[in-house]
Amino acid sequence: MRWELVGKRDLLLWLAAAVLLSLALQRLGFFDAERLGRGAANVLTFARDAVPPDMGVLPLAGRALWETVQMAFAGTLLGFLLALPLGFMGTRVLSPLPLVLLSRLIVAATRTVPALLWAVLFVIVVGLGPLAGTLGLALYTVGYLGKLYSELFEGTDPEVVEALRGVGASRLHLARFVIWPESANAAISQLLFMLEYNVRASSILGFAGAGGIGFYVNIYLQTLEYTRLATLMLLILALTLAMDALSAWVRSRYLLAGR
Amino acid sequence: MRDSCPVRAHDIWFAYRGEDWVLKGVSLEVPRGTFMAIMGPSGAGKSTLLRLLAGLLRPQRGSVQVLGHAAHNGRLPRPRARVGYIPQQLGLVRNVSALENVLMGALGRVRGLAPYLGLFPREEVARAMSLLEDLGIGHKARDKAFQLSGGERQRVAIARALMQQPEIVLADEFVSDLDLPRASEVLSTMRELGQAQGVTFVVNMHELPLVHDYADLVTVLRDGEVTFRGPARAVTWAELQEAPA
Repeated sequence: MRWELVGKRDLLLWLAAAVLLSLALQRLGFFDAERLGRGAANVLTFARDAVPPDMGVLPLAGRALWETVQMAFAGTLLGFLLALPLGFMGTRVLSPLPLVLLSRLIVAATRTVPALLWAVLFVIVVGLGPLAGTLGLALYTVGYLGKLYSELFEGTDPEVVEALRGVGASRLHLARFVIWPESANAAISQLLFMLEYNVRASSILGFAGAGGIGFYVNIYLQTLEYTRLATLMLLILALTLAMDALSAWVRSRYLLAGR
Repeated sequence: MRDSCPVRAHDIWFAYRGEDWVLKGVSLEVPRGTFMAIMGPSGAGKSTLLRLLAGLLRPQRGSVQVLGHAAHNGRLPRPRARVGYIPQQLGLVRNVSALENVLMGALGRVRGLAPYLGLFPREEVARAMSLLEDLGIGHKARDKAFQLSGGERQRVAIARALMQQPEIVLADEFVSDLDLPRASEVLSTMRELGQAQGVTFVVNMHELPLVHDYADLVTVLRDGEVTFRGPARAVTWAELQEAPA
């Protein structure tokens, strides 16, 4: 059987990607067998030391987990309330160019800083505790949802916009009566995704003193109390799975049905 | 005094880019209260002409006057709210109810913040409901637009246009997806409701039998030029097939 290479360009791209990946892995120590062997042994030691999880820590961990959920929920909603007007402001069909550029600048600037760093900054501003974490998550949410929303709103069917302009609708009318209803399903889906992300992110904000279960994760890591740490990790896993299931249910029940 | 021709276009030339003219010196006058059908093959410039009349495009040359106002800078000044425009794909908001879509036709005259909260004056809601009932879809008023059939959506689009209490309705091939009996029913209701309000219609259409039944006047476009204008009864397939003069 004779073979002929058809996608030469694709093959070259894949080869180039494979070479770059190998170089990066080699530089990062992925091919250091001795080090990886030591790491595997450490994992086994950690696993042995973490079992059985210490359930005595549950009341404390439960309270911390609840605080984490509250931070994620409040931070996401606050971020959403700020991202929505910024999204409208960043949509060319609704705003003059200077406002579009201003909105995109604000959103890009907030997106540049990771949630953990925002939390550190707010710890400096408002002190230790969940308030700093909530504000950090809110700003991080603004950065992402603001961008996603302006792109989503820009994608509204121009014919629907034209038809409403034809009835003498103002820009605010267009935002309320065309762009929001046409985009609401996707916007809420993105909001749920952000909430899932923020639940995970808020679990580590405690490392920076910004409240939630991360504070105790950090303490138990530093004091080598792995059985207690294991309980916290199981709780975080359960919370993440519960959030995924909840948002999947909301999507299927309310959003997919509305398409 | 009210202009006897609420829609006037004089020698309009339009190209989407460069010198690739879609319309070449088209002139048009639509007397008040008449139904003018714009006909012609695909690509003749019918939709472009309608969008120019709706003030959504700006001609490179010539002028468009609607309700006595010149289309300065390509945009019709207010009262745009008095011009109903039904685009080819109808332009309905899919995720809201038929009733809300119709109520959007009142946005040009309902002031204040109440509509943003979903609050409309009772008489406007009653009027929207009455239009939907007149068009035979009162029972679907609470259904979302995406749940309606093609014919029902067309009726909602007509109701929204009439909700504006327009002097002119511009409609772009909005019955082309329907079979003839259903298209005839929709046009008949629209014409009846429109006549009661003294509305002038400019409608892009393909179907000659419907044009004979419902239009007063016809303008035929071909390759961006007017090849026929006259009473609807006078137009035949021959005029539609003819090469430009």
